[in-house]
Amino acid sequence: MFTYVSKKIGVFILFMFLLSVFIFTLSRLAPGDPLQSFYGERVEHMSMVEQQNARERLGLDEPLPVQYEKWLYNAVHGDFGISFKYRKPAIDILSALIGNTLLLGITAYGLVFLLAILLAVLCALHEDTWLDRIICKLGTIVYYLPPFWLGLLLILLFSVNLHWLPSGGAYDIGQSGNMLNRLQHMLLPLIVMVTSHLWYYAYMIRNKLLDEIRKDYVLLAKMKGLTRQQIVWRHCLRNVAPSIISIMAISVTHVLGGTYVVEAVFSYPGIGALSIESAKYHDYNLLMLVVLVTGALVVISSLVAQTINECIDPRMQEGVDYEKKR
Amino acid sequence: MKKNDEEFIIVGANYQNNITPVKKMALWQRWRTKPIVSIFVLAAITLGCIFAGQLMNHDPTGFYLNHLNEAPNTEFYFGTDSLGRDIFSIIWYGGRVSLLIGFLGTSILTLIGIFYGCMSGTAAKWIDQLLMRLAEMFSSVPNLLIVLLLLSIVGSPTVFSIAVVIGVTSWVSLARIVRSEVLQIKSSEYILAARSMGASFPQILYKHLLPNFVSTIMFMVVASISNCIMLESTLSFLGLGLPVEVVSWGSMLSLSNKALLTNSWWVIVIPGMFIIVTLFCITNIGHYLRNETNKKFSNL
Repeated sequence: MFTYVSKKIGVFILFMFLLSVFIFTLSRLAPGDPLQSFYGERVEHMSMVEQQNARERLGLDEPLPVQYEKWLYNAVHGDFGISFKYRKPAIDILSALIGNTLLLGITAYGLVFLLAILLAVLCALHEDTWLDRIICKLGTIVYYLPPFWLGLLLILLFSVNLHWLPSGGAYDIGQSGNMLNRLQHMLLPLIVMVTSHLWYYAYMIRNKLLDEIRKDYVLLAKMKGLTRQQIVWRHCLRNVAPSIISIMAISVTHVLGGTYVVEAVFSYPGIGALSIESAKYHDYNLLMLVVLVTGALVVISSLVAQTINECIDPRMQEGVDYEKKR
Repeated sequence: MKKNDEEFIIVGANYQNNITPVKKMALWQRWRTKPIVSIFVLAAITLGCIFAGQLMNHDPTGFYLNHLNEAPNTEFYFGTDSLGRDIFSIIWYGGRVSLLIGFLGTSILTLIGIFYGCMSGTAAKWIDQLLMRLAEMFSSVPNLLIVLLLLSIVGSPTVFSIAVVIGVTSWVSLARIVRSEVLQIKSSEYILAARSMGASFPQILYKHLLPNFVSTIMFMVVASISNCIMLESTLSFLGLGLPVEVVSWGSMLSLSNKALLTNSWWVIVIPGMFIIVTLFCITNIGHYLRNETNKKFSNL
């Protein structure tokens, strides 16, 4: 058990290391002066001597590996540099906003998969009937609505014209603890998140289920006298579960990426809107931190999914070759 | 003798009389399974964009300051936006940019994806593992975020640089499929034969691998055209892609915040409809390409 856990942690650390090297190199490779990422527009007003001093102070004149070492040392101690736009440590800004994003992301994630499984079962039970066809066509159309555009339409309809729901923000001023108020603000972003991801996963699960109901054990179950619903819910869905879980693991990236656009449209204060802002202002330190945190979230979720899968189906464990053992 | 005659009739020169004639299907029947509507609509939009200069009825670079935010009417078919530009005239020019980015981005990501996938599929096992881990790492960060990072590095974006950024960041899923296809094909005898005859890697790739998996990845390639168009419009909408002066369907939508304040739906709905219809047609064609696989009957 100990080696198992330490192996997973090792994978995680290695991954984060590679990701940080990749991002660090990328941000330092930026054409133009890396000073710009620290001082922005102010660089142009600096004299040569000032620039040289600033460079020495920030260690920018040293070779890249040395710079990376320093950055890594600071990062491990919780110092990810200063966001030049907000003039605050990047980590403070991020930690203030990440809760909002997680709230939106996790709720949307849960809803997407709950609805996706329900829709997939519905389609599989009624394969090739009018119901299945209508759901498939509608799903495809809805899936291809650009999320930002759908968000705009919803704001236009429900906020501007009907005045039912607020058009942006996470809560009204002074109402941060009020759940109802938060829910009102989250409703439109949630609708967009769910509609833009739902069909992709529902269709995948539907196809997995359709492959499953063509297997022989379904005939046996049918002969035993189980109803169609019982076969699909009890047998097929359970057999598809590992692939659903791995789909869920991969989808963390997509759903998180989806929150970014949605947050920007609804000006919802989260790390997505933050990252877009910082990209606009070339705020590299903040952007790097957002990428790292997102990467960490994704890797953790994929490791969790892997572990769950290995519990459900021991054949998936690495290093154990069941085919050979037989 | 008569019997012989009959036999002669059956197998002889007039044998066609005894074969039930195969009805030649009418044109609409042959095309019924094909996504004819999608092809037609897509062709119409593409032609409209190519002949934008002939279609427009106002100056696409002009700002009609007396006609700010006008709803669709007989003079401005699709209305005007908050800058006073005629939406009907600029939408065709915008389509040029959007479609161009779609095709450019797709060709870049296809090239990278095929090359990376083939390399990973044919190389030694440890290189394959390394390449796949790298791809996994690359895809673990949301695409949009890497695009943001790259765009903030590139600086002021142009049509070409956006296409390159989109292409460079979206190849992973294609590379994966190519790799799994290559792994399947690789073990077949004709590759071994080609290798033992001394064929080089590019030769094998071009002559043997590519023709065999091209039909499988066609669906992905077509789908990624719409993904590129979607990504470009999202970026331009967020104000990170093309500036407002360079008209694309996405950058037309970047004015939508002002449109929300003035409740002018046409500024939002019309460019959006163009994007959706285009994406939907492309996807439909892609689905048709994929559905060529054989069908099995349900046991349920």
